[in-house]
Amino acid sequence: MLWYKAWLETRWRFGFLVGMILMVWLAPLWISATGVHSGVPAARQWMGIQLGSVLLYIFTAIYLAGSGVNSQTIYAATSGFHGSMLFTLSLPVSRRRLLFVRAGLGAILTCILVAIMAGYILFLRPEATSAIEAAVYLTRVIVCTMAVYAVSVLLACVLDEMWQFTGVCFLWVAVFLLQSRFEMLSRVSPLRGMSLNCYPITAPMPWAPVVTSAVLAGILLYASVLVLQRKEY
Amino acid sequence: MSETIISTQGLLKSYSGKPALRGLNLAVPRGSICGFLGRNGAGKTTTLKLLLGMLRPDGGEIRLFGETVKSEASSIAARQRLAFISEDKELYPYMTVGQTIRFTRAFFPTWRRDLEEKFLELFRLPREKAVPKLSRGMRTQLMLLLAMARGSELLMMDEPTSGLDPAMTEDILQALADLAVSDETTVFFSSHQLMEVEQICDRVCLIDEGQSVIQGVLDDLKAQYRRILLVFDAAPPLALAGLPGIDHLRQRGRTASILAHNNVDAVVESARALGAISTEVRPVTLKELFLDHVRGE
Repeated sequence: MLWYKAWLETRWRFGFLVGMILMVWLAPLWISATGVHSGVPAARQWMGIQLGSVLLYIFTAIYLAGSGVNSQTIYAATSGFHGSMLFTLSLPVSRRRLLFVRAGLGAILTCILVAIMAGYILFLRPEATSAIEAAVYLTRVIVCTMAVYAVSVLLACVLDEMWQFTGVCFLWVAVFLLQSRFEMLSRVSPLRGMSLNCYPITAPMPWAPVVTSAVLAGILLYASVLVLQRKEY
Repeated sequence: MSETIISTQGLLKSYSGKPALRGLNLAVPRGSICGFLGRNGAGKTTTLKLLLGMLRPDGGEIRLFGETVKSEASSIAARQRLAFISEDKELYPYMTVGQTIRFTRAFFPTWRRDLEEKFLELFRLPREKAVPKLSRGMRTQLMLLLAMARGSELLMMDEPTSGLDPAMTEDILQALADLAVSDETTVFFSSHQLMEVEQICDRVCLIDEGQSVIQGVLDDLKAQYRRILLVFDAAPPLALAGLPGIDHLRQRGRTASILAHNNVDAVVESARALGAISTEVRPVTLKELFLDHVRGE
């Protein structure tokens, strides 16, 4: 039943993201139909689509992680009450399991949406894409998005949703700005992993950012469990 | 001697260095209805949250159902046998009454469908009604249903009648009294409403500044304590304050009001010896006990 509860808490966010993705999907079709960007080279158009999709991956990860365990404190910001959180915590369930289910469902939904968006990017690509190339692209995008998701889950365990959202955005903007200054960061940044070699899209697997993202996501999710277990309500 | 369901020894808790509980000792026997009294900020909610594992104690020991609660696993085992109703009585706003019942039922293998049906009918709670559309009183009733149907041995509540109208308050109190009598469920609830506590509780625990100042069977406490009113020719003598058995002394003009226990006759004799021209001994109410202890006069 915890999965059911998690779905009830997440379904509107999921629906909103699906609607937003559908709207964004119409943009390339509209552009090609109207021809407003016909003078722009294909490579630059692809860069735009790719960057837009990276922003969508990040937003999806942050938004779905935002409906975390902490977000049940619906009145916390204004009245000091804990909302339904006290009812949940009085049930015979470990906090580890609460987080596992909540973050697990969010991660699954994030992966589904990111895979669909990435699949659409591959579909739009004028050149044919092999199955291996598609698998490489999907893997790197999903794994790197999970790093963003894990940061959001950790912050959702300690901050109210508004601050969690703001905090994650600031963090990744900082990473984006710093990766152009620091070569080391640039090589391992999850953002780089999502957008590396935007054109052509079928670059080899960027192992450094993918492995870094996987390790980072694991560490941050484990840290989230530790934080939640020590948190007082 | 009956089993102690809730027991704390020297319980300590501070928030940012400010003590909330200063060595709280508490004992609630099985089958009792225990009112947990204290001023705002006395440490009632903190105690309830510590018992439920929502807060971690800085020191001391918590025992629930005879087992020490010091790890998450032991807290979960205890929570399998109890129910909690918070002061704000918030449930999931995205669920209906029926969904909330189904959700809660999944965690309790001993869930009693007969009690679920009985209380749905008694409280007239429609299964399909959304939780946000329930009044505060109906939410309290739904939480009571969830507590009773899971077969909990202990029901803990933080201000259960807060925000309810008098009719709903009476219904809730009656349900609590029935619960304790019919199912031998132990009820432990914090409250500011002394009338309610006197109406249904057989035990009370009064805490002030994080420490227990009175606890025991309510009738015994009322029998032990007496109000002694004294009138003197002049201002009451200072020696009055030193008499053994006096809990609190209040002086005004030529009169003195004493709260005493276990030594009432001796206090009256001593007061006469000190020049009291009139003495009157009265039984005390819970309100008097509460006010005398928390005001520290």
